[in-house]
Amino acid sequence: MFQSRRGPASRGLDVAPTPDQLRRWGLEPRWSRLVTFTGADGATLTWHVLDTGPGPLGTIVCVHGNPSWGYLWRDVLRSLSPGWRVIAVDQTGMGYSERPGPRRLSDRIDELVRFCLEEVNGPLVLAAHDWGGPVAVGAAASLDVRALILANTAVAKPDDIRVPPLIAVARTITALTCASTPVFVDGAARMTARRHREALRAPYRKASRRAAIADFVADIPVRASDPSWAALARSAQALASLQCPILLLWGGRDPVFHDRFLRDLRRRAPQAQVERFANAGHYVCLDEPVGTVIENWLVQSLAEPPAATAPPASLKSPSAVAQGSTPLRSVLATLEERSGDSSLVYEGPDGVMSWRDLASRSTIAASALQRHGVRPGDRVCILIAPSVDLLVATFAIWKVGAAVVVADASAGIVQLRRLIKGAAPSHIVGTAATLAAARACRFAPGARLAAFASLPGVTDLREPSKGPEFVAVINHPSDVAAIVHTSGATGPAKPVRYTHGALAAQRDALSDLLEVERGEMFTTSFGPFMLLAPVIGLGFVRPDFDVDKPRELDFDALSDAVAKGEVSTAWLSPASAEKVASTSAGRGIDLRLVMLAGAPIPASLVRNIQAITKGEVRAPYGMTECLPVTDGADPLAKGPLGGTATGRPLPGCDVRVVALGDVQGPALADGEWGEILVSAPWLFDGYDARWSADLTANVRREGRRFHRTGDVGYFWGGGLFQLGRAQHVIRTADGPLASVAVEAPVAAALDRPVAAVGVGPPESCALALVIGGEGDVRLAPASLASAARAAATHRVAAVLVGQLPTDRRHQSKVDRTRLAAAVRDLLAGR
Amino acid sequence: MKVLVTGASSLLGRSVALELAKRGDSVTCFQRSSSDTGLRDVRGDIRDGAALLAAADGHDALIHVAALVAPKAAWSEAYAVNVTGTLNAQRAGERCGRFVHISTPSVAFNDAPAVRAGAEPASYKGRDVYARSKAVAERLVLQRSEVPTVVVRPHLVWGPGDTQLVGRIVSRAKQHRLIVPNHGRALVDTTYIDDAASAIVAALDHARAGNSACNRAWVVTGADPRPVAELMCGILLAAGLPPTFRSVPVPVAALAGRVADRFWPGTEPPITHFAARQLSVAHWFDQRETQRVLDWSPRVSVDEGLERLAGWFRESR
Repeated sequence: MFQSRRGPASRGLDVAPTPDQLRRWGLEPRWSRLVTFTGADGATLTWHVLDTGPGPLGTIVCVHGNPSWGYLWRDVLRSLSPGWRVIAVDQTGMGYSERPGPRRLSDRIDELVRFCLEEVNGPLVLAAHDWGGPVAVGAAASLDVRALILANTAVAKPDDIRVPPLIAVARTITALTCASTPVFVDGAARMTARRHREALRAPYRKASRRAAIADFVADIPVRASDPSWAALARSAQALASLQCPILLLWGGRDPVFHDRFLRDLRRRAPQAQVERFANAGHYVCLDEPVGTVIENWLVQSLAEPPAATAPPASLKSPSAVAQGSTPLRSVLATLEERSGDSSLVYEGPDGVMSWRDLASRSTIAASALQRHGVRPGDRVCILIAPSVDLLVATFAIWKVGAAVVVADASAGIVQLRRLIKGAAPSHIVGTAATLAAARACRFAPGARLAAFASLPGVTDLREPSKGPEFVAVINHPSDVAAIVHTSGATGPAKPVRYTHGALAAQRDALSDLLEVERGEMFTTSFGPFMLLAPVIGLGFVRPDFDVDKPRELDFDALSDAVAKGEVSTAWLSPASAEKVASTSAGRGIDLRLVMLAGAPIPASLVRNIQAITKGEVRAPYGMTECLPVTDGADPLAKGPLGGTATGRPLPGCDVRVVALGDVQGPALADGEWGEILVSAPWLFDGYDARWSADLTANVRREGRRFHRTGDVGYFWGGGLFQLGRAQHVIRTADGPLASVAVEAPVAAALDRPVAAVGVGPPESCALALVIGGEGDVRLAPASLASAARAAATHRVAAVLVGQLPTDRRHQSKVDRTRLAAAVRDLLAGR
Repeated sequence: MKVLVTGASSLLGRSVALELAKRGDSVTCFQRSSSDTGLRDVRGDIRDGAALLAAADGHDALIHVAALVAPKAAWSEAYAVNVTGTLNAQRAGERCGRFVHISTPSVAFNDAPAVRAGAEPASYKGRDVYARSKAVAERLVLQRSEVPTVVVRPHLVWGPGDTQLVGRIVSRAKQHRLIVPNHGRALVDTTYIDDAASAIVAALDHARAGNSACNRAWVVTGADPRPVAELMCGILLAAGLPPTFRSVPVPVAALAGRVADRFWPGTEPPITHFAARQLSVAHWFDQRETQRVLDWSPRVSVDEGLERLAGWFRESR
């Protein structure tokens, strides 16, 4: 009796979480138990675990890092049981486990293997965080692991990364920071929300209980002579050779395991799927509802385990399949073919450039990038406005086998930083000004900088190589070519990943669509489209206006650009087209073809542009994820349900209209509206590091990957008509209404812009119409209200009038979400 | 079927009685004055339980419409008519075997907007004697229903001949005393008189043992909500009056109502505190379950109703 009482105390087992504590921390008291098993040295070892008990699907063993304990997996324990048995272990010497003495990484790996062999029957999944990562990965090599989940961790210190500062400081004075004072424990606990701190600190209240924390820190190998260096290297090797599905959960605001560690892990395990939470910190498992993500991911990835020989799931794209047999002309092919051509590829306010110059200058820049460490597969962010330099940089990046990261500066510096940081580029190419901003605002900590200028600490991309001649890397169709971003007009901007195969297919689709002839020049008000011109084989004239402000392209700027070169084709955003039309004052511009895209195009705008250019006007349908989808021919065509005519789907592009939310359902008949799904060889590869967004935005049907566009529309006579966004569908008690179909007849009758919004609960709204006008939204006068009602084809609860809020960026799409909220409050009487 | 209808001298009571008669039911009307329906009249006071019991003799069902709707009534008076009267009616209804009680959505009013609401519990405990006495009555009816009982809460009943809503709006407009809180922005449901009557008849048909409509209150509306201002203007235009009203901020309207409740000399103050509060927040209801369970749906939209109202005003001028 006396023995057993003193025994646990000496082994650290005298402290245990009370049922009250566990309940307060959101854990069930029955989960907490002690497990005794035989350790590596033959002696028994007792671990405290949070064990949810039997689950039919299998067992998830969760391994925490330093300094934390099983509490970290709270959300996983709660969300995945009872389907899964979830065991969150406390490592030896940590949490409420036994404290027998120092452990090295190899000991910890060995103990985890023994624990799993002893405790777990059936399918095993390992999850690990922080320094639990190398432990779990090392153990996975000796266990039959079905899936591996890693969160903010590392299996190696990449060469270009210094030891995390917090660790570096802690290491030099481990005893002081980690054991004798609670500095390290407290500092770590402060990296998450206040409500988690009590639980994170609880097992480490006394210095004697913190010994293992100091030992753990001291054991982190930073050089080859450290005792655990070899074990860590083995874990790194194990990760590269693991065949099971891997999920990387990542908090984007972790000062310890920051995005460069994520980059390193992705390089070591290219098949890994990534869910990055931009706003979460080190304790991503506490900061975000990761349980749901893990649950969905396990369902998906364990349903169809990827065959060992199959290409990584993340790289599968229709393009890679479609071009299986025929060799693909790379996006660099046109430039190579015209490398001796002295005709102009670019003409703009900053100067002119020939195809020949572009070819030679991009080779010089590529070799400079290569000398400065850009490797195939790296990501290089470009912070250059459309110019000679932008074209040179883009082709240089592709020549060196890297991917281009394009972020839109007009979204503001905070958003820009979020986007760039999320893409984790290894290099940034910019100008003196943008690189200064990138440095000051820490756009991409650790990224190396390059410019077409001589700046201190910056690679000069104009410097020719003194070594052997540069040979361009041959990009495989499944290699990532570009990371672009959704506009963010309808939600947070998402990173969109394109492969070389998709870009090449896009080039072919666009040049067919534009019916490009050699020698023609092209102009556009869309920044990213400027890159497309030389890929398609068109020369490009950049109008003199601020590309970040599409509304500033007026008639004169467009007319000057057209006059400067032999411009025959223009691709305008709706905002630019409106400005051009409103400033034309009866004058004309001679163009063969004008493309209007970016938002549904009103008929009046089509007519105005037709009147100005006398050329063909097309309004093709497309989105950042898949562009173009349709040919945009006959934009004034009328369909029975109204909406915007977008022409016929392009050859090779599959478009399906299905009932709302029924993505596996049959395609609807002509004249029936629903959700639009698209598939094409030039479809995007996925949202980068957004596994959940990918899951909801893509669907497999008919053996292909389709993108859920989030738009609604219908087919009529072979043409696709768009009826606005699915999220703007108004679900009334009598059934769903497409906002555009409701608005069109009223807008036509009143000759004023109209927005339809729903008020009331989401599933049984009443319909309110807001007529565009001046001032705050208010009830419409009786005469206007009755005119609107008379024109409406549906029962209208209220007619209002006032200024329609538009999205900040395009200023062309009515912000219906904001408008609906305002109308809801107004009609509630608030 | 033999049905006794109380309060048939009111627009709603008369409409219900005539609707029943039209489909062949044998109807008796019970009220103090003549019902003017041409149907069998029994004159009596709802507060007189014995008279009501006697009148109910030989009937199969009782529909209790009678109520005191007077903004300045004393609580004792409202209690006597709306609570005691209802208990008398319920007792008489028990003798008949089926009972339909007409309540009001005001019994659940709580100052908050009701958006796609259902029939919330009759928990009103405010100062408005009508809403409060009707709330007590409804609670008592639902507490003790020994025969199949359905409670119907028609929301803002209006139509030709309506003295409550239309009559008050028109007379106040003529006196230039029409005050509407907050520009009349709140979205409200209303019920055209014909639809209210047909809903009550449908409720009677569902007042059968084991029917899911029983022992519950059902809000009934025309399911065509409109902003208050638009309804006011529509009614004024129908009456041939200029569609104008004076808008006051909600707190001012509420204060004016409170003062009028206290000090207005006549029986018809231009605004009451309760009306000011009620007209300033949204009141519209989810009718899907009601329509399904009662197997009934409204036929007259607001626009159609306003046309009929305008015709009626033209004829009666």
